[in-house]
Amino acid sequence: MNDTNKIILKIKDLEVLYATRMGLVKAVDKVDLELKRGQTLGLVGESGCGKSTLGFSILRLIPPPGRIIGGEIIFDSADLVKKTEKEMRNIRGKRISMIFQDPMTCLNPLMRIGDHIVETILTHEKKLNKKDAIKIAEDLVVKLGISKLRLDDYPHQFSGGMRQRAMISLALALNSDLIIADEPTTSLDVIVEAQILDLLKELRSSYKLTIILITHNMGVVSELVDRIAIMYAGKIVEIADCFPLFEKPLHPYTVGLLKSIPNISLEKQELEIMPGSPPDLINLPTGCRFHPRCKNVMKKCSLYEPPLKEVKENHLVRCWLY
Amino acid sequence: MVKNLVEVRNLKKYFPVQKGFVETLLARKIDYIKAVDDISFNIRKGEVFGLAGESGSGKTTTGRLILRLTEPTEGKIFFNNTDISSLSPTEMRGFRKRMQIIFQDPYASLNPRMKIGDSIGHSLLIHKICDEDEKRKKVLNIMENVGLTPTNVLYGKYPHQLSGGQRQRAVIARALILQPDLIVADEPIAMADVSVRATLLKLMIDLKHEFNLTYLFITHDLATTKYICDRIAIMYLGKIFETGNIYDVYSNPKHPYTEALLSAVPIPDPKARRKHLIPGGEIPSPINPPPGCRFHPRCPHTMDICSKEEPELIDLGNNHLVACHLK
Repeated sequence: MNDTNKIILKIKDLEVLYATRMGLVKAVDKVDLELKRGQTLGLVGESGCGKSTLGFSILRLIPPPGRIIGGEIIFDSADLVKKTEKEMRNIRGKRISMIFQDPMTCLNPLMRIGDHIVETILTHEKKLNKKDAIKIAEDLVVKLGISKLRLDDYPHQFSGGMRQRAMISLALALNSDLIIADEPTTSLDVIVEAQILDLLKELRSSYKLTIILITHNMGVVSELVDRIAIMYAGKIVEIADCFPLFEKPLHPYTVGLLKSIPNISLEKQELEIMPGSPPDLINLPTGCRFHPRCKNVMKKCSLYEPPLKEVKENHLVRCWLY
Repeated sequence: MVKNLVEVRNLKKYFPVQKGFVETLLARKIDYIKAVDDISFNIRKGEVFGLAGESGSGKTTTGRLILRLTEPTEGKIFFNNTDISSLSPTEMRGFRKRMQIIFQDPYASLNPRMKIGDSIGHSLLIHKICDEDEKRKKVLNIMENVGLTPTNVLYGKYPHQLSGGQRQRAVIARALILQPDLIVADEPIAMADVSVRATLLKLMIDLKHEFNLTYLFITHDLATTKYICDRIAIMYLGKIFETGNIYDVYSNPKHPYTEALLSAVPIPDPKARRKHLIPGGEIPSPINPPPGCRFHPRCPHTMDICSKEEPELIDLGNNHLVACHLK
């Protein structure tokens, strides 16, 4: 169980399609991804790049009209794509849990915070009684910096940061093997965001968590993750370990993105402009999807789609430059 | 001598808290949310003045008060040496042309049933500056300026047909068309895609030089303010805690809150990972702000005096002002 180098999640050729009235949208297009136990993976991209859809598809929670049309999601040597809804229920919350962006819409406003946690525990652990569950909940929230007296509060009595802590306690309640955090700090103020990031760091080492962190914020990923996958228009365009990626990004999109973000630690900064905006997924550019915005565009780029290629050790890029 | 375009003096805005019917009958005392509580600052002609703080700090209310989109409870606002806080709506109209606002959400601030060109040029008709033909010419010009091209095609499009970045350009164009002196930009890039933000920021800087604008730039993003602002004020629970030019405040923050805020900003570089922890707690309710210094319950350097006396803004030289008992 605790073998750290074991691959816990392997996604192969995953394709997710939304059949909308405007046309077919392939939000996730042949994505391959691997995650080792104990690793924190950052899934980074702009809105509409498919990063959240990818996260939701692991839990098979894609809202209709979206559905998985191809590929495999191997979790603990079983393919989640093939599981029945009933089997998925035993996995969601127990083996894989999720932390959502906006805790206010994810907590039931009519339910006490403590009852959320107790219900989660009792749903999955049939052997436990309510008293045990309350004990577990109390111990858990104290570790997350919430007084156990506040378990009787309702969500509206909690501040934004406290609600996010409550969400995290739900994800931790059953010692999940994998936690998917979708923009967990985006709705929070900067100081609270830093507090939650500190908390996640601490929990990661004390609980040996495996986390997929979905975000658009390069600052947040650089603070927390071991490995980063950059997504653009439904495809992964670059995957590498955190330090090498920031040290020497290879894909022109990653390079441009990093140069276009104001960085508070720099004395004098010239921002670089990336022309255009992310493409409409219904009308994708031919060849490489980034080519209309790319500085290094070549003739080949508009004709053929580049493969995801290992350029350096553990550093994969989807670009004809390499 | 630098000229001030806007001078704010002891500005206050208290919003009454909504009460239930029974409580009104019982005539209990009315609570107020002290959104802006006695602040003073100047915006110089031609500068970018940043107003930064967390949500609930009163930065947006301050922006709206300066434009008189919200009526102040107390205090004065001078625009070009005229006190606009007591002008009647008719008198205010002449000034409205000279001050415009860019809102955060370009989806909510453009009329979905109005063509982009008409939205941009609408104020020309309201202020009876020109007729329909002249309007079209002016709108096409300004669209060229903000990079909404091809102008002829986009003029007739509806907001839903444009991308987020284009919509924000349209909102900027609309703010510019009356050739204002002051633009209040309330989180103008927060909704834009990350790869589009730099483009919008650069555009705003270029337009500032081209049209001799002054910006009040309201944001929670302290990395962006560092890039675009000349001076900044840090707000917390309706108060200004620290203000000064960007270099002084960022390289030598004097208020513990400013320090915490600056060190909490995530840096897109894993080598700069934060080593020390951030002060705990969150911004308290503005209905019952803590007595004395409003930051004292969270402050790592709190002293006896902090809970008793509210610190005044003190000038440390070079117009770097801080409200803290430590100084």
